[in-house]
Amino acid sequence: MTRFDPILLEILGNKLRAVTEEMGHALQRTGRTLYVKETADFGTALADIGGRFFAYPRAIGVSGFIDLDCGATIRAAGAVEPGDVLITNHPYLSEGLATHAPDAHLLKPYFYEGEIVCFGWSFVHLSDMGGRVPSSISPTNAELFQEGLFIPPLKLLERGAWNEDVVAFIAANCRTPRDNMGDLRAMLAALNVGERRVAAVIARHGIEAFRDARTSLMDYAAAKARAVLRQIPDGRYHFVDYMDDDLVSPWPVRLEVTMTAEDGRIHLDFTGSDPQVEAAFNVPTLGKRHAWLTVRLIAFIMTLDPTTPMNAGMFEPITVTVPKGTILNPEAPAAVGVRHATAVRVNDLVNGVLGQALPEVMPAASGGAMVPIVFAADVPETGETRVAVVEPMVGGTGARRGHDGVDGRDSSLSNLANNPVETVETQVAVTILEYGLRPDSGGAGEWRGGVGVRLVFRVEAETGRVLGRGMERFRFRPWGTQGGRPGAPMRVILNEGTPGERELGRIDVLPVTRGDVVTVLMPGGGGYGDPLARDPAAVLADVAAGTVSAAAAQEDYGVVVRCGAVDEVATTARRAASARERAAADGSTGTGEARATWDAAFPGELLREANLALLAQPASARQRRRRDFYATAVPGLAEGGFRHVLRDPDAVRARAAAALEALHRSR
Amino acid sequence: MSEHASSPRYRVGIDVGGTFTDFVLAERNSGRLAYHKEPSAPKDPAGAVLSGMRALIAREAIPPGAVELVVHGTTLALNATIQRRGARAALVVSAGNRDVLEIARCRMPSSYDFRAGKEEPLVPRTRVFEIAARIAADGTVTAHPDATEIARVADAVGEADVAAVAVVLLNAPAAPAFEAEVAARIAARLDGIAVVASTEVWPEIREYERAVAATLNATIEPLMARYLESLETRLAGDGIDAPIYITASNGGTLSLATARARPIESMLSGPAAGVAAATRVAREIGAALPRGVLSFDMGGTSSDIALSLDGEPDYTNRTHVGGLPLMMPVVAVSAIGAGGGSIGWIDAQGVLKVGPDSAGADPGPIAYRRGGTHPTVTDCYLTLGILAPDRFLGGAQWLDRDAAVDALAALAGRIGITGEDAAARVAESALLVASTNMATEMLKTLAQNGVDPGELALMPFGGAGPTHAFLLAEEVGIDTLVIPAAAGTFCALGGLMTDVKRDFVRSLRRPFGRGDDGPAWAGFEALKAEALAFVAGEGEILTGHHLGHAADMRYAGQGFDLAISIPAEVVRARDAAVVAELFHREHERTYGFRDLDSGLEITTLRVRVTGTVPPIALPELPGAAGDAPSPGTRPVFLHGSWQSVPLYRRGDLLAGHRLAGPAVVEQPDTTVFILPGWEAVADARGNLIARRGGPEEILA
Repeated sequence: MTRFDPILLEILGNKLRAVTEEMGHALQRTGRTLYVKETADFGTALADIGGRFFAYPRAIGVSGFIDLDCGATIRAAGAVEPGDVLITNHPYLSEGLATHAPDAHLLKPYFYEGEIVCFGWSFVHLSDMGGRVPSSISPTNAELFQEGLFIPPLKLLERGAWNEDVVAFIAANCRTPRDNMGDLRAMLAALNVGERRVAAVIARHGIEAFRDARTSLMDYAAAKARAVLRQIPDGRYHFVDYMDDDLVSPWPVRLEVTMTAEDGRIHLDFTGSDPQVEAAFNVPTLGKRHAWLTVRLIAFIMTLDPTTPMNAGMFEPITVTVPKGTILNPEAPAAVGVRHATAVRVNDLVNGVLGQALPEVMPAASGGAMVPIVFAADVPETGETRVAVVEPMVGGTGARRGHDGVDGRDSSLSNLANNPVETVETQVAVTILEYGLRPDSGGAGEWRGGVGVRLVFRVEAETGRVLGRGMERFRFRPWGTQGGRPGAPMRVILNEGTPGERELGRIDVLPVTRGDVVTVLMPGGGGYGDPLARDPAAVLADVAAGTVSAAAAQEDYGVVVRCGAVDEVATTARRAASARERAAADGSTGTGEARATWDAAFPGELLREANLALLAQPASARQRRRRDFYATAVPGLAEGGFRHVLRDPDAVRARAAAALEALHRSR
Repeated sequence: MSEHASSPRYRVGIDVGGTFTDFVLAERNSGRLAYHKEPSAPKDPAGAVLSGMRALIAREAIPPGAVELVVHGTTLALNATIQRRGARAALVVSAGNRDVLEIARCRMPSSYDFRAGKEEPLVPRTRVFEIAARIAADGTVTAHPDATEIARVADAVGEADVAAVAVVLLNAPAAPAFEAEVAARIAARLDGIAVVASTEVWPEIREYERAVAATLNATIEPLMARYLESLETRLAGDGIDAPIYITASNGGTLSLATARARPIESMLSGPAAGVAAATRVAREIGAALPRGVLSFDMGGTSSDIALSLDGEPDYTNRTHVGGLPLMMPVVAVSAIGAGGGSIGWIDAQGVLKVGPDSAGADPGPIAYRRGGTHPTVTDCYLTLGILAPDRFLGGAQWLDRDAAVDALAALAGRIGITGEDAAARVAESALLVASTNMATEMLKTLAQNGVDPGELALMPFGGAGPTHAFLLAEEVGIDTLVIPAAAGTFCALGGLMTDVKRDFVRSLRRPFGRGDDGPAWAGFEALKAEALAFVAGEGEILTGHHLGHAADMRYAGQGFDLAISIPAEVVRARDAAVVAELFHREHERTYGFRDLDSGLEITTLRVRVTGTVPPIALPELPGAAGDAPSPGTRPVFLHGSWQSVPLYRRGDLLAGHRLAGPAVVEQPDTTVFILPGWEAVADARGNLIARRGGPEEILA
């Protein structure tokens, strides 16, 4: 590691990172769609000969893609020449570089005296790549072929000239050819900026220094990451989290990880996670360590050592096992469009397992759902449908030792901006009645979870539909930790407070008419530590600010607030009584009642065994057998209420054991 | 003012910085300039202004009554905002919008750091009150508060014991009169507490940013009013009754009365004046320079850069102050990290780093002997011989070179640099690291603007700017440098070189170019009337004014705007076709195509009024005969060895003097370090213009 000049390393590290940031700015300046301009759903980087990123921007574009691997794409394209540019958006043929149809990835080889010295990389989430639905993403797609046009790794430009055949194919297969071409041109501009800048760095520091920097920068990042990861005590840690369901069936989707730590080397084994689903929630990692699996580790490493160079080296101490055929390593042609919804839960999962090892460092679960609420208004005069985002909705962040969670924000997977209400009301046929914090949604704890966001809007079009992909945590609440309570679950309500009020639960597409009022309540973050130990002054401040109601202060925290002050005597009495009541109860309150009910009926070992048995089945039979398993164990979950169906855990367990037996026999 | 025309009249530019309060005195017609630096007094900034003013006019033997104009830059509002020291305020919002400041734009300041919290709002949730007052997007009032509702809210605000109140109603830019009426009705029940409506501060669509603008203005207004009042009274007490102007974030100035009422306009007061001065200096030099100037202001704690192209500073409508967005046109100044106080250190893996921690002005570099224990960039200059221990700030501050050398030698030892010159070698490396850090930030700013370094001249100022500029220029790839005469007090000079300027805005958001553009033209008329009414009240010193028109436009369905400036005659002629063509052209320039299928939309109208302040004359240096006099040489460690470098005094340089690098030019407020391979020539204005390459490339 120290063989490299410690001064040149710092200089080249900064310069090469800056190259990638300049590429990003060039892309953002010349990109023309909202994905580029506002959402910043794009990326730029420099990849080494093997396809790993050795330089990556710190503050522009998507932050979480550092652990993508361009290797398969580079190999698939074969021999390249100066001026060539590769393109792909194929999740399986790029081996997980692209992870859904709209993400177009470009790679350009950079040459120095005939030698490839590195590859420039850029990607943009294009507006539409064809397929069954506008924008190409729908959770109910089951196969890749429904999700749009997929381009295997091939040359978009050859020796600087556009491959017009490829361009024609793209234009003919998507709904927004002009926007797509605009963004592809912006990506190309970024690659050209990178090429010039890399040449300038080589001209100034020499090719030897550049070659050395490629590996030394990764070694440097690896050394820093390892130093951070050594804070994890050696040992095995285990964590399980759930998604509510996969939208096309009623059963929860299980994610499991076992982490082994040894002297700063971390192994994440996802064995026990559910088989791939017949919906678009699959994450195409191809069984390798992958950006969607390691994004929480970026935050972990960067929080504990912000000077870590951001490149693939930071993951060098990390290895993974992801069994083939699971939702985290699906087999083609499983649909992948909404893989980020699963990634949000993987983030919770990895956060949770790190918390087992370092409870004083890691926070409780954040809201765990990121939902762009979309309104599609029918325009009767023209027959068209006007589709627009009302607001991107998030929960609050989880509390951690010594600190409450953040209210109404959550950047744990992506750091998106919302839309001004005044802009929304000019562009979308809705009136925003409320857009604010959701009181009492933060998980109680010595440190409180951040509260979620509350959105209430009235439909001003004759007819339309409300959509919200990524809705989650209706059933399984964001968990608290170290005695902290879970955040409130997500809710969607139609015409709240009227005789026609309907609790909708998770919606796919909700038809609405003029005057309907839709309420979306996002989950709060989990709490940390015993709520009865929370400083009464902090509870009082929450009550004064309105983030906690006086009733909840009494119920959850045992703090009695009267006339704007803490009633000390009543509080002492109340806290003592609460402590006694709690001692009498079972105490498994960190994950909430639904999870406790589920775990009582389905012990972890049983589901792990069932999942392993399912993976042993032929791929074509897996989903049918999974349906059979749950239909036997919990018949009626689709129709009946969750609690009702699971009210007798012993009976469920017995049926599940029988179903597992049947599964084993069917091999 | 004609009665004074015979006797000399003076103007004083003042810039209050963290360490020093800078003064520039200009005799309006003769080109005479005088400079002064006074230690700042953070607890009583007006005190430092007063004592510095006294010292300056006494030294220059000027009667107080001969001062005709004082132009003042202050970071008071900015610092109060960063430290949240503003007045206790309340915010009144439309029902349902109580959390506008809490949710903000939903983004977290850091994507990675899960320990980082969100920004602290200017008004906490406990002092945000909802009122049943609502406007629809089309401007229709859909909820009128009755007297009971007004009383309920006003009483709640009254109980919150606040000094200022801001009212922000949703969609108020579509019905500003209604918002003003609600504010007035609340004010009527609150005895003597100022209540401001958001659209009076900045009437642009985007409720969060407008709420920030309104609460910013409300929280800093009492503070600024007190300060400006005290300043005016105390200067008048000394017999200086000249009008006082305050430099504004948009690079212009404002009368004291306007600055008091609208402190938000002077948020980025000082740096913007420096950019204005850089633009003016570049314009005077003219065609000899490339098309753009990159100003580089390096101080003790940080460095700022700003771009001017074709004689106009680059503006932005989106910037941040103290973690909060500021939605109004300001000179686009970007911080690029390192300053003279940035600390050099070695990380656990043995890699040399500079910053982001800074020793600032207090305790400052080790060499200041004020308790600093970490070697800084300034300690590196000193160790390398670029700065002399006894000549810093004209000898006003002695530097302890031995202490700096010891600290750097210790640092060198930790990365295996040993031997006699270990301290100098690590110092040179640290400056290279600092330079590349700054260069990378600079290149990003250029990339955002689509500008190439080859199109630019670098103009350094501030205490350390000219010392570091050549190192930086080489890293960025800029081949032309302009070091203005009084680089250390350049922001103060900037105030004397700028005109009164204010921006007016109106959100419109409607189709354009379909033959029904009446509202757009009427909007421009209304803004023009506002602008003219404003400029008429800005004081007798103004000799004229002009208006600039611009519109933010987009193709229908596009999610973002392009800013199009529109010539006044096009507005007068109401020529929509020309405006459309200007937009198509700009779109084509930026994105490579025009879209004739989609219609056009106009979202925002902007008018800027400039009130002309008669310019001061700039100094005229006599021509040089012979070589520049050099009082000797100094050993400077350069490219790995000690070299004997010629020394010059800036005050000795005359028009046409040429200096070949390496050279050190000392002046009372800064030190210029010219690298080998560069040649500089002094021009008649006292600027040093340097080019990389042979003398044939240098202008005379």
